[in-house]
Parts: sequence; structure tokens; C-alpha cells
Amino acid sequence: MKIAVIGIGQSLRGDDGAGLEAVRQWRENYPETASRSEVRVEANELPGLALIDLIHENDAVILVDAVRSSSKAGTIHRIGPEELSAFTSDSQSAHGWGAAETIQLARQLNPALKNYPIKLIGIEVKQTTIGSGLSKEVRSAIPLACRAIQTEIEKFL
Amino acid sequence: MTTIEVPALARVEGEGGLFIKLENGRAVEIRLDIYEPPRFFEGFLRGRFLQEVPDITARICGICPVAYQMSSAFALENALGIKISPRVRALRRLMYCGEHIESHALHIYMLQAPDLLGKQSALELAAVAPDIVKNALRLKKIGNEILKVIGGRSVHPVNVCVGGFYSWPDTASLKALLPDLEWGLNAAIDSVKWAVTLPYPDLEIDYEFVALHHPEEYAVVEGEVWSSKGNKVSIADYETRYIEEHVKHSNALHGRTADGNTYLVGPLARLNLNHEQLLPAAQKALKDSGIKLPLKNPYKSLIARAIELVQFYEEAIELVKAYQPDGPAHVELKLKAGEGAGATEAPRGLLYHRYEIDENGLVQFAKITPPTAQNLPRIEADLFALAPKIVKMPEAEATLTAEHLVRAYDPCISCATHFLKLKVEEK
Repeated sequence: MKIAVIGIGQSLRGDDGAGLEAVRQWRENYPETASRSEVRVEANELPGLALIDLIHENDAVILVDAVRSSSKAGTIHRIGPEELSAFTSDSQSAHGWGAAETIQLARQLNPALKNYPIKLIGIEVKQTTIGSGLSKEVRSAIPLACRAIQTEIEKFL
Repeated sequence: MTTIEVPALARVEGEGGLFIKLENGRAVEIRLDIYEPPRFFEGFLRGRFLQEVPDITARICGICPVAYQMSSAFALENALGIKISPRVRALRRLMYCGEHIESHALHIYMLQAPDLLGKQSALELAAVAPDIVKNALRLKKIGNEILKVIGGRSVHPVNVCVGGFYSWPDTASLKALLPDLEWGLNAAIDSVKWAVTLPYPDLEIDYEFVALHHPEEYAVVEGEVWSSKGNKVSIADYETRYIEEHVKHSNALHGRTADGNTYLVGPLARLNLNHEQLLPAAQKALKDSGIKLPLKNPYKSLIARAIELVQFYEEAIELVKAYQPDGPAHVELKLKAGEGAGATEAPRGLLYHRYEIDENGLVQFAKITPPTAQNLPRIEADLFALAPKIVKMPEAEATLTAEHLVRAYDPCISCATHFLKLKVEEK
């Protein structure tokens, strides 16, 4: 079984880089899992439509991304394929496709993907203004996000 | 006083808004407010070694990084007095084909077609016409594959350098793309047939079209700067006729001709000025489409993109078949102080760079004029032309109509800042 762990975000937009940082720390803390031949680890500023290819090239996908809902900053969300469509991209970019829309598009084009295993580890952000560095709340939630990645990946392995 | 404000235009790259002020039902002011922050690339290139410039400027845009690499490499080669080999030039054209293909496929199908078909997004389009969207994604992906083979990765590819390429791409990997490219050529021809059936709003504008022109090929990497008003200048003399000015409401500069007029760069300009240089399959697609040139309807830039999609697939096939790496992939640089300009045709239009370097190859001055900055005053002028129609519409419809027009241009605000919200103010 091939599994992709994909950190998404923009490290120059404050907490938007939380997904990238969580994947980086998970890789460091769980080297045995991260280096297994069936596991592909990627850090991607904005995978956009290429996410469709990643879905087709792997049997399961774990996305790690910054999210904004009404929860407290630093809250770790574990979001399955069905709830994912409730999240929309706040990207202002025409050319950047949010993960939720892209997955929806992939499913619309290929009904066989209806039960495709995809999980989003979402890290609730505090601020996403211009500048690098995570907020204190988000930084202290990264170890929790790492454990969530590990728990989810162990379900597939 | 009424204001219509679109706080952020969807499906437009970068951040900006649209403001329309109405007095007694007449538009008196139209502004594209560009508040994407200024990016200062020209400033922080100063003091960098010239060989870093192609990869730094590539970061200006995630959609057309190759354009920035190409214009900067040509400009710096001119500054050093270097001539690249015909094989390097051919590979640059092939790499550029990859970028035009992926950018055009995205804009035609995912960004503009939903507007023309009354769909909110490509997602809605995919629900009613999944095969169209599947083909679109495949068309786009093949462009990305070209970039990956030549530049190591499809987003922000590397490998372009001043003097050529760091290394020749693998021949077998390039030739392996041929079956996909042949499929793409046919799918692109079908795209033109489909494009002419779409419902386009009526709007004819008497544009001054500006594009590179080359007598022997559909100009992309080299040529003379031609205008539909008859003006012809060399790339080195570009700034004598095309100037940039600051306007208060925009972090992007505005391009005008030296006599103060707006002009249009991009696929419409290229097709209108250079259709005689199209390759045979693209010529045939144009002829079979029944389109009469010059095309003056901004919405129909979609058709121009579709014809160019045929051109770039056709050209990519030729170039891949002819690819034979031999000799050095780049010229060894002999540093000297100098100044050089370069211009190439990015997917959105002419992209001009000029650099001054010192004897150690360090950049002393950089000027980058992206296509969208040149088109911004023209987009505002088009919105004025559309205004008498918009003012009679309910607010939501007015907003959508203005947005459609702006999206038809495929503006890239991130590149131009140095972009959309619609605000209409009525007295």
C-alpha cells in the first residue's frame, strides 16, 4: 500500500506554514515510519491540481494543512473525506486550487474515488499575515499534530 | 451615492479589487485597485550575481516561471555579448511550449470557460461535462511533464542558466513524451472547434496590439516589438516607445505607449500580428474555425489561446523529434560590465527585462515589465466601454459581468505588483 503524507502551506504567511512544520517534525521524530518504502513524504506550498495526480499515484493520502474554523488556535482537527468538502480554500489565487475543491473535482471526474481514503490533519491557525514564524499557540500544537499523523498512518500500514 | 464593490475577484491570480463610481447612471471613474503588496524584486536583485537572476525572477510567478527565466537569461546574455547555440535555443523554445501549454489549458478550461457557460467554477463544469474537464487536466499535465523532464520539476523548474542550460535533459525521457504530445495536438485541435461554439458577449475594441514578431517563426523567444499601429522597435529600444507609470490606486505600474495610449499584449495580440507564422496544423485550425482576424473581442482571447495550444503542441512535437543533445549545454561566461535587454512572449504577453551589471557580474540595476502591468490600463478602459451596459444591471449581475471581462484577460496580479474587488459608487 502506497501512502502519501503531504504538508501544505506557505511558510511566509505565519501560521499558514503549520502543515509544513508538522510534517518536517513528524519526519524527524518518526524516522522509521517516514523512511518506509511505501511512504512518500512531500512538503508543498500549494499542490493545486497536482493533488489529483498524487491521489491517483497513491492508495491513501494524509494531508497536513493549516485550517481556520471557529476553534481555538492550535486545535488539531482530523477531518475525513466527507467533512472535507465543508472547508473551502481562502486562497485569493485563481490558479491555486484548495485541497477540498481539488478532492471534490477528482471525485466528480472519477466516481471510483468515492471511498478513497484521505485524511486531513488540520491545524487551527491564529494569524496568517505576511512574515515567517508560527504563533506560540500553533507552535506548541505541532507535537500533537505529529502524533495525529503517526496515528493516522499506522491505520494504513 | 451607490458603490459597487467586488472585494476580491475569484479565479484571478493575486489580490486586487474593482471600483466603479456612477453619477446619474453614468460611470465616471473605474479603477482596478491593486493591493497585492509590492514585491520589490527589482530592488533585491541589486548586488546579486547574474547567474542567480533566472532562478530568483522565476519566483515572481508559479504559473509562468519559465518566462521569467527566459527573459532574464536573454537580457543578461545580451549584456555579456553572448550568443547561445541553435540547440540551446531550440530547447528553450521547447521548454517554453511546456509553459504555454499548461497555462493556456488551465485558463481556457478551468478559469474562463465556466464564465462563458454560466457556471460558477470548473467544479460545476465538471459536474455537467466531466470529459471536457478530464481532457483539460490531461492537456495541462502534458505541459507540466515537458517542464519536469527539462527542468527537474513542473513548478519552478530549474536548469535554465545564463548561457544555456546547466545540463541537457535525458533524450529517452523527452522522446517518451511523444505519444502524449500527439494526443495533445488532436485534443488541442478539438479545443479550437469547441472554443468557437461558446457564447461570447459582444464587445469589439479598437486595440493597439503589441507583440514580438519574428519573420520565420511564431515569435516567443526572440524578435522585434511590433505594434498593430505600424510601429516596430528592437527589443533594445523597447523603452523608447513603451513606458511604465505609477498610479495612485495600484501597487502595479501601468504601461502606456510613449504617446500616452493604452495597448494590449497577450494571445490576441500575438495571433493578430503573427498568424502567418503559425505552423501548418495551427494554420489549419485557424482556417477551419472560420474566425476572421483581427480578433477584437477581449472575451475571444480564449479562441486565440486555443489556437496557440495547437501551435505549442505542434511545435513541441517537432522540437522533441529533432532533439539531439550535442556539444556544451551552456556557453562559459566571460564577465564584463555591461547592459542588456531581453524580451520573450510569456503566456499572458510580452515580458521585458533589462539589467546593468558590473565587471564582477553583479546586478547594478534591474527593470522587469510583466504583461499584466502593460494590460492594466487597457482592462480599465475596456470596463469603461462596458459601463453603459453594466449600470443598467442589478448589482450582482453587474459585478459578475465586470469580473468575466477581467478574467478573460487572465491577469496575473502577483506578477504585476509592483490585483480584484468591484466597488461601484453612485451619485
